[in-house]
Amino acid sequence: MAGARVDALQLLHRRHAPWLRARLTRRCADPDVVDAAVQDTFLAIWRDAHRYRETTSEAAAWIWTIAVRRLISNLRGPGHRWLGGPAEIPDSALLAPSAEEVVLMSVEHGDLGPTLDRLPPELRAVIQATALDGLTVREAARLLGVPEGTAKTRLMRARARLRELLA
Amino acid sequence: MTDWHVNPELLLDYEQGALDPSRVMAVDAHLQHCPRCRSTVRVDMRWLDDSWAVIYDGVHTHQPKGAERLLRRAGLPEHRARLLTATSALRWSWLGATTAVLTFAVVAANTGAAGARLALLIFLMVAPVLPVLAVATAYGPPFDPMHEITSATPMAGPSLVLWRAAAVVAASMAVGAVAAALLPGPGWWAVAWLLPALLLSVGSLALATVTTLPLGATLLGGAWLAGVGAVAAAVPGGQAREVIFGPSAQTGYLIAVIAAGGLLAVRRRRLDPGESR
Repeated sequence: MAGARVDALQLLHRRHAPWLRARLTRRCADPDVVDAAVQDTFLAIWRDAHRYRETTSEAAAWIWTIAVRRLISNLRGPGHRWLGGPAEIPDSALLAPSAEEVVLMSVEHGDLGPTLDRLPPELRAVIQATALDGLTVREAARLLGVPEGTAKTRLMRARARLRELLA
Repeated sequence: MTDWHVNPELLLDYEQGALDPSRVMAVDAHLQHCPRCRSTVRVDMRWLDDSWAVIYDGVHTHQPKGAERLLRRAGLPEHRARLLTATSALRWSWLGATTAVLTFAVVAANTGAAGARLALLIFLMVAPVLPVLAVATAYGPPFDPMHEITSATPMAGPSLVLWRAAAVVAASMAVGAVAAALLPGPGWWAVAWLLPALLLSVGSLALATVTTLPLGATLLGGAWLAGVGAVAAAVPGGQAREVIFGPSAQTGYLIAVIAAGGLLAVRRRRLDPGESR
């Protein structure tokens, strides 16, 4: 039984590790931290595989939310590798694509692209962390290395600015 | 969701970090929902194998179970918890022996009302020796088949003995406390044996700085049994219990515990069960 499950994990790793690495590298320049985050992700999946329900959502979205959280907890340093214990794997039911994501997917076609590029980098980073990566404001603040209140203000400013630019 | 896909040039720019921020976000969002584009991401096989090797190791490392997980929850560091639960065969043997002896004591005490007072006295006399017996027999040269290997490790030495002894005493005292609560008889006598038990345990460890642990424990346990036996024989009727376990005697035990603890602290470097003297 265990052998078959390890094979399944290896298949999952082979299928998802490359793009996870590429995408995590866009969040964090340190390859060691990215590698550690990828490894931690699959170990977390191994331990909590029973919490994933096949029918509710795409596996990739579920894996990504785990990976980006692992990245954040690794960024906090080796003493705090596990942010909130093993209970932090998100419920897969909550991972349906948000309206903002759907909009973002059409960046290539509409005028959203130039608008996003004109957004100040620190505001864009918050939008990216919350809308795209599915992080909470608190986790986004940790990823960006700013206080939670700052991240909250930036998110509000970013939304206002986008509304203004798109109007 | 859309008919747009990430083309190879775009993906290469994405991997190298040469894209506009908005296009990075677009690729991010697209990758999450498009298995086809995910599979076109360049695979570095060596990196993939290295990464998998680490995961494979992680999957196959020891996961704490049962008692070890309980100790970890209680706040003990990982290596201590592992140490205390490592020799499970020994643990069960002495725990089983202690439980059996105490069960007999409780059964004996509960059978005859007339014999209850005597049974309580015998229980109080024998109970302090049990933790000592456990300390002496649970670990160390004659009983632990692993002792030679253990003593060659960097963790061997005083702290190893003390950690194991503390675990053993805690477990056998817990068993003793259950037995004491089941014994018929008035209130605080149920705990009267705790201080002598502590004295004998600490005293054995202190004696072990001079001789071996089993010998020290035997000497002290034997002295205790002989002493209380002599008192019980000399003092008439129901007075023996008050003499051996009364307030003044308990104060004496406490002072002796402190003295033994001090001696142990001073001579702790001599405490090593692996050495034969």
